[in-house]
Formats: sequence, structure tokens, C-alpha cells
Amino acid sequence: MSRPCFITGMGAISSLGNDVDTLFACLLDGKSGVRAYPEWSQHRGLRCHLGAPVSDYDVSALPRTVRRSMSRMSEMATLATLQALAQAGLQPGADLNRPRTLLALGSTTGSPATLETYFKKLFERGGPEGQLSTSFFKVMNHSVAANVAAGLAFNGAVISPSSACSTSSQAMILGWELISAGVYDRVIAGGADELHYTSAAIFDIVHAASTGFNNRPNESPRPFDAQRDGLVVSEGAGVVVLESEESMSARGVRPLARLVSGDYSCDGTHMSQSNAAAMAQVMRAALRRGGVAPSDVGYVNAHATGTLQGDSEEAAAIAEVFGADIPVSSIKGHLGHSLAACGALEAIVSIRMMAEGVLIPTRNLKTVDPSLAKVQFFSVARKTETQMVLSNNFAFGGMSTSLLLARPNVA
Amino acid sequence: MPQPIEPSQQIIEQVNRLMQEGFELPAEKLVPTATLVKDLGLDSLDAVDMLVHIEEKLGIKVAGDQLMNMRTLQDVYILAQEATLQSSGKSNAGE
Repeated sequence: MSRPCFITGMGAISSLGNDVDTLFACLLDGKSGVRAYPEWSQHRGLRCHLGAPVSDYDVSALPRTVRRSMSRMSEMATLATLQALAQAGLQPGADLNRPRTLLALGSTTGSPATLETYFKKLFERGGPEGQLSTSFFKVMNHSVAANVAAGLAFNGAVISPSSACSTSSQAMILGWELISAGVYDRVIAGGADELHYTSAAIFDIVHAASTGFNNRPNESPRPFDAQRDGLVVSEGAGVVVLESEESMSARGVRPLARLVSGDYSCDGTHMSQSNAAAMAQVMRAALRRGGVAPSDVGYVNAHATGTLQGDSEEAAAIAEVFGADIPVSSIKGHLGHSLAACGALEAIVSIRMMAEGVLIPTRNLKTVDPSLAKVQFFSVARKTETQMVLSNNFAFGGMSTSLLLARPNVA
Repeated sequence: MPQPIEPSQQIIEQVNRLMQEGFELPAEKLVPTATLVKDLGLDSLDAVDMLVHIEEKLGIKVAGDQLMNMRTLQDVYILAQEATLQSSGKSNAGE
């Protein structure tokens, strides 16, 4: 049994807007979500003082008993999920589990801000005295999934995939597999992470964070650029509603796009070094699982975070699979790196690119690094009529994911 | 036989303030006879956090096992008053 899988709803909270329309408009305008965090200089050893925060959002409509166990990542994930459900014509509540629905949402870790305050107090007091009962519910590995479920009064299946920067793309691919196999009729998939200096530090420690643009925040990160010096951590949430044709048709809903296929794998060799062979392998596997030829794909949305090695390896892998004529861009030059949210956010933006007939260029790409493999990098928006795009995400632990997305009418 | 403790106006106001700030309760609901569960909508997690807030804001130490005895807001006022008196070294009235 293999059933097609469609996307009927999309929700986004990002450093460039708290809904999909605003996000896409800001990307088209070439805006940057990055700002300077000079206060991070107080954290000894932290050299990256850039971040891309989400602007104010409103969760006051959620009951207090739901909000009390939410950190920012769960709040943002709940808002993005509500947006996606609304677009799909779905309501929160018990009916959301009819037909069979899986909620698959994850994050890199539990809330880093809550972890910091929890352990700071624990060490200061020499024990758990003074800890709030709700702190742990913000730092569980499945905090986002559990809190969103509570926010939706959802009583169906919940799972929390977690693979750092490939979390939400893994959730989407898992959803595609389960819908295709007939296990579930609907999957709400995505991810979220919140900005914290410790997230920037993780990358800074391994020399993968941008450190040379602290006084020019809008000029970093610079995917594929000769002057790139690392990534900038962001935050946000990206959520999509995936459905079988039967589930969608029963409500008379029109699809936004088709999730043709996807694949995830681990290179099994190194925790942090990017690996072009593993990247090419996952792209080829996604094509194979979708029964698609490389020539059917008209654009690659690269993971490209702006690191020296990661961008180079990904360009090599894309060139190997698709050749030199494939258009390639990364939206992390605008948004920064939203970690667990980026896979779903980039899939959402890729879908909008097809719908609007325009490819978003790579922000801050002024001079293509001449050492990169040849593909069609671009720094000015391009028109497109492509029917299908591929979106990559890669993560610590050797994790690789590729998603194939198509216009809704593509068989 | 110990006399029942009368909470001071200061304690009542402090507890009411943290009930408003910590649990988003409107002032008009904060009457001594209000039951914590039925009238104020608090649950077991809230009860734990309420004691933490009382201890942190009032600078006192409350015995955790007294949590189970609290039914109304008046019980919370009395608990806070008792803990305040003990923290300041004063003996309970009537002892």
C-alpha cells in the first residue's frame, strides 16, 4: 500500500514574521532577522554575539494551565500548529483525532533558558528547594509535543522526534512514511527551538558560529559566500498538516502541495563533520523513494547554514546529484538557523516559492566561494515554473534528510 | 488550647498579590472563603507552586506537609501567617 501524501496546512513563527505570509513577504524583500547581542560578551569564551529572535507574539488566548508548562519553544510551536490547523480547516479538540492522526513535533533539547535557571538555582541552593513544579515540563525531551497536545486538547498519538537541526524534516518524512503506508491518515509534523546564548555557544565551541560580523549583524550568516564565517542561531516553529487524499477529500480541502517523498539517514562516522557522500546518498534516496529523476527537480533549498565546511560539502553533493545547472539557495542568510524548526520552515517557504513562481535568493551572497562545486547559486530572485523542489537538512550526529515537494497536481 | 491565628492585613495583601500574579486570578475572587480547587481553579501543581511563591516572596519556610490541609484561601493566609511568626521567632498566639 502506498498512498500519496498532501500538505493542507502550514504554520510559521520565525525571526522574519509570525505567520507564513509575513515570513514569505520578508524573504522576498530580502530582510534580515539577525541582530546583535552585545550582552552575550559577558559569557566568557563566547565569541558569537549574533542571534535572530522572534518578535513578540501573543499566547494569552491559551488557558493558564496550558501556558504554565510552556517555554518559548512550546508557545511558538502551539501558535504555528494552530495556524496550520486553521489553514487545513481543522479545529483543536477531540475531533482532531478522527481520522487517525499523529502529532509529531520535536526540538533539539528541552528549553535551554529553563535548564539554565533550574540548574543555577539547584547549585545555588544545594538542592531542589524553591523549584517550581512546572519547570521539568519545560525541559523534557518531548516538551514541545506534550505541550502542543495539551494546547490542542489532542488525545491521539504523539511522538517527539529529535535530531537537532533535522528534527522537523525528520518529522515530516516520518509523517510521509506513515501516511503512505496507511498507518495514519493525518500527521501534524514540525519542530521548534528557542534562542539562547548556550545554543550559539554549542556552535561557537566547534568553530561553526559566525564571529566576525558582531558589529554588522545583517551581513551574516553568508551561505556559500567567500567571506562566510559560520552560522547565526535563530528560533521559531514550523508546522505542517500532512494528509492522505481520503482524509483531505472528506473535508473538501484543497492541497497546498504534495510531499512526494523523503529520506533520512545517518552517516555513522562523525558527530559534526559534514560529509558530501552522505548528503548525496540521502538526496538520491529521496529521489528513488519518490520515483523521481534528478531532472524532475527544478530547485534545491539547501540547508547551507553559512559554515565553511558544511556549505562546501553540500554544494559538492548537490552538484554530484543534480549537475551544475540546478538553482540552489539557502534562506538562512535571511532567517539565521532555527535549528529544529528549520526543516519545516524551509519546506513551507519552498512550497510558497512554487506557488508564487519565484525562487528566493541567498541573502548575503555577494561573491560565491570559488572553491565550491558549480551549481546555480543566485543572489537575486528568480522566476520559476518548476513542479518539484528538494529541501535538505543536516544535523549534528551525522544526520541527513531530504524532502521532495511538488505542486499539488503533480502525480 | 491555642487560639486561632488571625492573619494580618499585610499577609492577606501579600498572598492576594501573589495569587493574582502567579495564577492570574482576579481580585474579586480572592475572598477568604474561596476554595482553592473549586472556586479558584487551582490544582496539585498550582498548590506546589503557590507554596514556592509564598516562601520566595515572603522570605519564609513553609512545611510541605501542610499542603494537604489547605482547602480555602483563609487556610493559605493562616499558613503564611504562622510561617511568618515562626520565621521571626515569635511564638504562636495563645501558646
